[in-house]
Amino acid sequence: MAVYKRGYQRYQGPLTSRTARLLVLPWFAWRRLFEQRLLIVLLIVSLFWPLACAVFIYLANHSELWAGLDREVSGLLEINGRFFLTFMNVQAVLAVVLAAFAGPSLVAPDLANNALPLYFSRPLSRTGYALARMAVLAGLLSPVTWIPGLLLFAMQAGMAGWTWLASYWTLAIGLFAGFLFLILQLALVSLTCSAYVKWRAIAGALILAFFFVLAGVAETIDGVLRVTWGAFVNPLRMMYRLWCELLGVAPPENPGLAGSIVMLLVLALILVWVLSRKLRPVEVVS
Amino acid sequence: MRTPEIVFDEVSKFYGEVLGVNRVTLNIPPGITSLVGPNGSGKTTLMNLMAGLIHPDRGTITVRGLSPKDPERLMRVTGYATQYDAAPRGATGFDFVSTGLMLYGYSRVEAAERAWKALDQVSLTGAANRKVAAYSKGMRQRVRLAHAFAHDPEVLVLDEPLNGLDPLVRAETIALFRGWAAEGRHVILSSHVLDEVDVISDQVILIANGMIIAEGQIRNVRDEIHEHPSQFIIRSPGAARIASMLFELDHVTQVKLQDDRLGLLVMTRNRQEFSRALTRIALGGCGIESVIAADENVDALYEYLIGGSR
Amino acid sequence: MNTPFRLRQVRTIAQLELKRVFFSRRSFWVYLLALLPAVIFIGHGIDVKVRQSRSASRTVSREILASIQLGDTPESVIERAGEPIDDHQWNWKEQNREVAHRRMMYFDGQDRVNLHFQDGLLASKRQSPLINAEEDRKVFAGVFQYFYLRLAIFFGCLGIFMNLFRGEMLDKTLHFWFLAPARRETLLAGKYLAGLAASIVVFTGGVALCFAAMLWPQSAADTQAYWQGPGPAHLFAYLAAAALACIGYGSVFLAAGMLLRNPIVPAVVLLLWEGINGFLPAILKKLSVLYYVQALCPVPPPLDASAPPLARLLLTPSEPPPAAVAAIGLLALTALVLWSASRAVRKLEINYGAES
Repeated sequence: MAVYKRGYQRYQGPLTSRTARLLVLPWFAWRRLFEQRLLIVLLIVSLFWPLACAVFIYLANHSELWAGLDREVSGLLEINGRFFLTFMNVQAVLAVVLAAFAGPSLVAPDLANNALPLYFSRPLSRTGYALARMAVLAGLLSPVTWIPGLLLFAMQAGMAGWTWLASYWTLAIGLFAGFLFLILQLALVSLTCSAYVKWRAIAGALILAFFFVLAGVAETIDGVLRVTWGAFVNPLRMMYRLWCELLGVAPPENPGLAGSIVMLLVLALILVWVLSRKLRPVEVVS
Repeated sequence: MRTPEIVFDEVSKFYGEVLGVNRVTLNIPPGITSLVGPNGSGKTTLMNLMAGLIHPDRGTITVRGLSPKDPERLMRVTGYATQYDAAPRGATGFDFVSTGLMLYGYSRVEAAERAWKALDQVSLTGAANRKVAAYSKGMRQRVRLAHAFAHDPEVLVLDEPLNGLDPLVRAETIALFRGWAAEGRHVILSSHVLDEVDVISDQVILIANGMIIAEGQIRNVRDEIHEHPSQFIIRSPGAARIASMLFELDHVTQVKLQDDRLGLLVMTRNRQEFSRALTRIALGGCGIESVIAADENVDALYEYLIGGSR
Repeated sequence: MNTPFRLRQVRTIAQLELKRVFFSRRSFWVYLLALLPAVIFIGHGIDVKVRQSRSASRTVSREILASIQLGDTPESVIERAGEPIDDHQWNWKEQNREVAHRRMMYFDGQDRVNLHFQDGLLASKRQSPLINAEEDRKVFAGVFQYFYLRLAIFFGCLGIFMNLFRGEMLDKTLHFWFLAPARRETLLAGKYLAGLAASIVVFTGGVALCFAAMLWPQSAADTQAYWQGPGPAHLFAYLAAAALACIGYGSVFLAAGMLLRNPIVPAVVLLLWEGINGFLPAILKKLSVLYYVQALCPVPPPLDASAPPLARLLLTPSEPPPAAVAAIGLLALTALVLWSASRAVRKLEINYGAES
């Protein structure tokens, strides 16, 4: 019997942590994303509105500048939940456009080039892969959503003082949580659209269509059937309802809070199901 | 009357800042011509330029007198088997070939007849009704080939056509190429399988870094490269004596006596002078059994000319 | 190579492409977009029919319903008119006082009569038809302008026409067409016609079905009056507007698919451009597809009074040109876009490496 010299020794040195390994994918994706000039332009444009809000907060906290205005107008300069809700609404639209621009490059190229087997032949699970891809969008959308939101909150708190902070501290939590839910929703939609169509170019259009067309369908249902539950197929409208609750703003009559939460969860489950079906290391013959 | 050559005149192509090909001037006669070069050297770029899939930034190209800017006329006489693996979504091998033919104006029946004939020539009739997406690499190669020649073109441009073919099909395919070349058609192919290129090509075009570094028949190319030492193997019972005589010659740069002391490896800078010297040695009474040019094949040329740029 | 041969090539290319456009799995979403409003209208029709059959069995004469006066009690109403079709009761706290509410509904064979009682006395009486044909037509006009024109046809054409060139680039199959003995312009024409045929069939089909579903629950008299009046002209105008929208958006997205790698850019820019069309100077208005197509729409869409002022401004159609001018203007715009697309397709190169 031949006796072979056992020369092979596996690597015994230190390994990076599981989280650090997961972050390899986002780092690489961010580097590629930020090479695109259009994305930089979009990010800059997305910061105009927070800047305008910052100016507004400054004005609102300098009563001497608007002393001559009548009561009704000066009442509009109040910084409260409605102010932050308006801020969130505008940033949400910009976040959708950013997600439509950056989201498609997350999974579609991997599927189109049959790269998934390469990823999954390394110590990376499908969940890990999906989370890493979602982290890319979370990292991209944070600077235009909750980070400027909390900065505005801090600015207002700093200028208005403890009395305002004591009354409105819950706004910070509501703002952060609200944007977090939005990011989660956008990341899931982007990832699913990207995985569903495989084409980077078409996935972007699909993400846009997802939000715009569903809003149109909701309006059509309400208009044709003379009902008010159509909003339950409009994800951004349901998110808005949730934000109203988080920021303590009087909500619209429809959709209801419980219904919105249930429908948002159902939507998330459907997206996760589609994603889990598409994220498979196999080549499909078509 | 159309000229029978494919002519590149000072053609340059850049992909942004990346060089595709630079100042290529070529005159390719009918017959089998092989484009040889390392990956990324510009072989596919040359072929795409010929077929009008990309356009030159500078210079002009004519294919048998036709401009690649006029696909309506050019593609009647040209068939191109590209390196791209994909076929239209859902197409079977038969669909792929026959729909292509319908664009030439053939009726559905005529297109079907020609498609079956072409598929038969590449031994693919059995799999003709299967989707191309489900084909193996070799089968995709063959269906692309059938697509390229089904309309009976005068010029066949084939990007690495022998890749992925098994030995039997490879031999049949080479026979097809030879048949077409014998009919006076152009068969332009690129390949990394240098042995085959060596055997089947009427001429080679060596390309590296987007520039043509040699073209012509392999032997002629070799002859033109005077500054590169030629290698010969001489077998003789008096090998040691011949070695000492060859050392005296200026153009001989190296002589190696083989272990059995019956063979010599000689490197010379002047083939003609070397040939005359050998005649003199032979006439002087040294028995020479054989003289073989050790590097007169594409491998050696490739190694010498473009080895450094790989 | 002569013109008849080139026309034959255009036909062959269009036929080959049509199969792909109509029967590919990707087209499923376009069908869904086109048919969804029809499904909703059918749902509305079924709802109306069910209500009609429920109400028809419990018809109350007009004289009895006319005798019901404000201040009557529910009991006296039931005594005269019998059990209502619908009867809801609830309590509501108003100004620190619990108020008892009750709503009852009767049907006189044509109209619904809604009675609202507060604290046991009739507070309001409203009569409305079970189905309001005029209102339904307005709703249809809104669905057509807001859903079909601005969303379904827009995104549908984006998908169909982008697929023709950019899609083939992504599939790495465009060279298949470029290696055919056809002029690039011939190829462009064939592909455009295929996309056009598919989008027009799908979207005018969807609009026609939706129109039929809107008319279905209406009374025979209403329907007949509509068909003898403006009905056919309305239907023709909607179908023409849908077809023209396909022609216009199709050409724009076909050109964008050749010139740009990322359709998000033209989609966002065009959505924005079409949205702010009302604010633009007259000369720029003419560079919009919606500007022309809206001019053909026969019924102005309803505007939600509760919508924010900015949204109302964006949704308000700009001053429309005459219908003939609109059609000619849109065709001229399309010709201009297709001409630039034909220039672009001649220069188009196969470079799949840049796609992903």
